[in-house]
Amino acid sequence: MSSLLKKGWRPAAVLILLLILWEGAARLFDVPSWLLPLPTQIAEEAVTGSALYAPHILSTVMLSATGYFAGISVGVFTAVSLFRVPSLQQAVYPLIILSQNIPVIVLAPLLVIWFGFGMMPKVIVITLVCFFPVTIAALDGFRQTDRDMLHYMKMIGASRRQIFWKLQWPYALPSLFSGLKIAATYSVMGAVISEWLGASKGIGVYMTMSSSSFKTDRVFVAIALIMILSLLYFGIITAAERFALRSRHKGGSPDGPAHT
Amino acid sequence: MARLTLDHIAKSYGSNEVLRNITLSVGDAEFVSILGPSGSGKSTIFQLIGGLYTPDAGTISLDGSVLNGSRGHISYMPQSPALFPWRTVLQNVRLSAEVAGIKPDEEQMKELIRSAGLAGYEHAYPDELSGGMKQRVSFIRSLNAPQQIICLDEPFSALDEFTRLEMQQWLLSIWETNRKSILFITHNIDEALFLSDRIIVLSDKPAAVKKELTVPFARPRTEDLLLSGPFLQLKREIYSELRG
Ligand SMILES: Nc1ncnc2c1ncn2[C@@H]1O[C@H](COP(=O)(O)OP(=O)(O)O)[C@@H](O)[C@H]1O
Ligand SMILES: [Mg+2]
Repeated sequence: MSSLLKKGWRPAAVLILLLILWEGAARLFDVPSWLLPLPTQIAEEAVTGSALYAPHILSTVMLSATGYFAGISVGVFTAVSLFRVPSLQQAVYPLIILSQNIPVIVLAPLLVIWFGFGMMPKVIVITLVCFFPVTIAALDGFRQTDRDMLHYMKMIGASRRQIFWKLQWPYALPSLFSGLKIAATYSVMGAVISEWLGASKGIGVYMTMSSSSFKTDRVFVAIALIMILSLLYFGIITAAERFALRSRHKGGSPDGPAHT
Repeated sequence: MARLTLDHIAKSYGSNEVLRNITLSVGDAEFVSILGPSGSGKSTIFQLIGGLYTPDAGTISLDGSVLNGSRGHISYMPQSPALFPWRTVLQNVRLSAEVAGIKPDEEQMKELIRSAGLAGYEHAYPDELSGGMKQRVSFIRSLNAPQQIICLDEPFSALDEFTRLEMQQWLLSIWETNRKSILFITHNIDEALFLSDRIIVLSDKPAAVKKELTVPFARPRTEDLLLSGPFLQLKREIYSELRG
């Protein structure tokens, strides 16, 4: 907790400074609030209008969490399959990169045509944005496995399966977690975008309704909610990473290992 | 009785002829060193014994059965310790038995760790250990495997002179009580003479066995041996062999 405070105060200070500048400039130039609301107005809306957006939050959390788990499952599965079957990797890897070049905005309406307005097309959108960083990070981790360790395992006659589960998988975990963290922040974005397609609830819906009625302060509340959710997800995955890798980098003083 | 035998082994990588004619054997509980200049193909011999590659000619056999290209028959200690950083000392020592599909005896492993002077470090991680300590864990890991032959590939060449001498004496003391067959690669004449029962001297690439000699010194051996007359005499002999 104290380390969070130690590291967190600088960005927090910058953020507060920016908000003060914004508040001051907007007041000075008398910007109309439908164009750019004041931070204090936004904060006020966030407090007084909380009943308006509260139900939307839960819906977005459910959607993004579902999409996130679908996405990382697909991502890990793809990475492991491609890594363990090299011919598959040659065939499929370029397609995976191409899949990231389809703009979600174009794809989304198509998915609605195919799957209707239910959860399905939305989860597919989130999966599509989440699986990619996971697959790439995990594949990189597998490929970077230490050569000496790999050689040792081969020399003592380890099977491909043993080499994978005892060496390559644990070796790639830190890299995999980088992918999981990126995917976590993408999942909120993905959920909001997919809610724009047509949903009855969600931060994305709250946002479209607010902007079409020129309630600009509410649009900013929605942006703040998206940021907070992203940070929260990032924090949860970071905590999971700490737990999963708790045994690593624990030992060794900063000035090098102990001597006999 | 010879356990491991290499009979007229040859190996090329493409047009790069590395091994021309290697014939050697390691007996039961025997300590044999392969001595040769860097790049002469010593590690290649181990990769053939380990089954990573198949020899172009010749046979490798263990207790009478041919091994060419088949894996899992030897225990191995590499030059770099190659300990898994996410495993504790105890878990690293367990790895070789795990891979061989054997349930290792916890007590025996702890005893091995104690004998390596690492009591109290069972649950430490590799990055808490010094270079010499890591190499000891690496050797113990190879001892804890069920295989009866251990191949050591220049295990001490990355250590400083003092640590190396300490490690050599330690290796001998462990080996006296835990006699597996050892095939030891080195490019250091002193090391080969101090440790082995027999030395196989290799020529430059393409490598062939240039000379094979039996080391007559009694065991247990101590540091004093390194400066004794007969030791220096043998060292001179090998040196001129490698030169000429
Ligand atoms: N996997 C490999 N592929 C191609 N050439 C190799 C391979 N391994 C070793 N060599 C070549 O074989 C020669 C001997 O290498 P090595 O056995 O490592 O020698 P040493 O262990 O005696 O220093 C070197 O010229 C090296 O380039
Ligand atoms: Mg070598």
